[in-house]
Amino acid sequence: MIKVEHLSKSFGDFNVLKDISTDFRPGMCNMIIGASGSGKTVLLKNLIGLMEPDSGEIWYGGKRLSEMGYEEKSSLRQNIGVLFQGSALFDFETVLGNVMFPMNFFTDWSMEQKMERARFCLDRVNVKNADDKYPSELSGGMQKRVGIARAIAMNPEYLFCDEPNSGLDPYTSGLIDKLIHGITREYGITTVINTHDMNSILEIGDRIEFIYEGRILWEGDRHSILGTDCQELRTFVGANVLARRIIGG
Amino acid sequence: MIKRFIEPIGRYCLFLKMVFRRPEKWGIFWRQFVLETDKLILSSIVIVGVISVFIGGVLVIQTASNMSNPVLDRMLVGYMVRETLVLEFCSTVVALILAGKMGSNIASEIGSMRISGQIDAMDMMGVNSAGFLVLPKVMSATFLSPLLMLFSFALGLLGGWCVVEMTDIIPAAKYISGIKYAYNGFYVFYSGFKMSLFCFLISSISAYNGYYADGGSLGVGASSTRSIVVTSILILLFDLIVTQLMLY
Ligand SMILES: Nc1ncnc2c1ncn2[C@@H]1O[C@H](COP(=O)(O)OP(=O)(O)O)[C@@H](O)[C@H]1O
Ligand SMILES: [Mg+2]
Repeated sequence: MIKVEHLSKSFGDFNVLKDISTDFRPGMCNMIIGASGSGKTVLLKNLIGLMEPDSGEIWYGGKRLSEMGYEEKSSLRQNIGVLFQGSALFDFETVLGNVMFPMNFFTDWSMEQKMERARFCLDRVNVKNADDKYPSELSGGMQKRVGIARAIAMNPEYLFCDEPNSGLDPYTSGLIDKLIHGITREYGITTVINTHDMNSILEIGDRIEFIYEGRILWEGDRHSILGTDCQELRTFVGANVLARRIIGG
Repeated sequence: MIKRFIEPIGRYCLFLKMVFRRPEKWGIFWRQFVLETDKLILSSIVIVGVISVFIGGVLVIQTASNMSNPVLDRMLVGYMVRETLVLEFCSTVVALILAGKMGSNIASEIGSMRISGQIDAMDMMGVNSAGFLVLPKVMSATFLSPLLMLFSFALGLLGGWCVVEMTDIIPAAKYISGIKYAYNGFYVFYSGFKMSLFCFLISSISAYNGYYADGGSLGVGASSTRSIVVTSILILLFDLIVTQLMLY
C-alpha cells in the first residue's frame, strides 16, 4: 500500500502537480491516466523518489519516503521494480545480463541460480532465444518485455510502469497489459501504471486516477469510467472512437 | 556570479562523496576496474606512444640547433631532452591529450546513460550508480596513469635516440651519456604524481559532467566539451601549483 498526501511539485513558476492525495493498493493495477504533459511521469518519479516533491508526503507501508536514509531507501528500492518509458535497458549488458544485474548486487546466489531465475523471468514475459542479444538488437516490444523481466527479477512488492505500451502495436500492447495484470494478481504486487491508452484502461484498470492539469479530477475503475459525468474525463475518453460511441456525444 | 562558481564545486564534492561510498560488492568493483583499465589506460598506449616518439625526436633536433655553441658539451643535448620530457612533456602534455581522449569518452558514455534513463534505472534498483559507474574509472585512471607517464618517458627517449642514430646531429654515445647525466629520481616521482593527479581530475570531472547531463543528445555533447575545457584549464593551473610546491 502506497499513500500520497498533499503532494505538490513545481518547476520554476510552472506548477505541475497540485495537492495530489490518493493511495495505491496491492494486487491491483492502479492506473494514472491523463493527456500527455499532464504530469503523470512527474508524479511517478516523485513516488519512487527520483524527484523530491516541494511539499506533501509519500508513505510506503507505515514509512515516510522523505524520512528514509540512504540504507533504508536502498533496501526499499530492492523491493521496487520499475519499467521506464524508454525501457532503459543497460546497453553494456546482454538480455540475460540485464535481468541478472540486480541479482549481482543484492543476492549471494551462484551463477547457475542467477541464470535460472533470469531465465524464469524471461520465460514469464515470453522472451525466448534472446539471452545473448544486446538491447540495441531488440524490437521495441521485446525491449519492454525484457524491461518487465528485469523489473520483476527481485520479486518486488511494488511495480511501476511508465506508459508500458507507448509505441507498440495494439496487439503487442494488449499482450503487455495482460502480462502486467497477470503478474500483479499472481504475486499480489502493488502496481502503478501511467498511461493514456484507452485500450489498457478499459482492459486492466482496477483503479483509475484521472489527472488533469496537475489535479486528480476523478477516481474510479474500468467499469465506471464510461459512465462518468466529469466533463474533462468525457473529453479525454471521447477521443477514442469506440468509447465515444458508447458514452455518446 | 560567485554562486555560479561555488555551486558546481559543492555539487562536485557531493558527487565525489557518492562515488567513494563503499562498493556494494568488491567482486563487481574489480570486474569493472579491469574493464575500465582496458578502455581508459590500455587503449591510450598507442596514441601516447606515437606522440612521445615524435616529440622526443623533435626535441633532440631543436635542442641541438639551439646549442650549436662549441663551448657547450654535445652531451648536454641528451640531458636537456631528458629533463624536458620528464618534467613537463610526459605528464602535463600527455595529460592534456588524455583530457581529450579519456575525458570525452567518460563524459559521453555516462551522459548518454543519464539521458536514456539507465542511471535512473540503476538508482531505482537500489544500486549506487555513481559508485558502480564512476569509482572504477577514477581508480583506474588515478593509480595506473603513472605507468603511461613512464611509458611516454621511455618512448620519448627512444624517439630521440632514433633521430640521433639516423642523423649526425650529435654522436650517439654523447646522447646516451647525456640522458644518464645527473639523474634525479625525484623528478620521475614528481612527474608520476602530477600525472596521477591530472588523471584524477580528468576522470572525476568528466564523469561529473556526464552524470548531470540533461537536454538530450545536445546536452551530452555539451557536457563532453565542457569537461575537456574545464579539465585542460585545471591541469595547467595544478601544474603550476604542484610545481611550485614540489620543486621549490
Ligand atoms: N525536469 C523538468 N523540468 C521542467 N519541466 C518539466 C520537467 N519534467 C517535466 N516537466 C514538465 O512537466 C509537465 C508534465 O510532464 P510529464 O509528467 O512528463 O507529462 P506526462 O503526463 O506526459 O508524463 C510537462 O509540461 C513538462 O514540460
Ligand atoms: Mg510521461
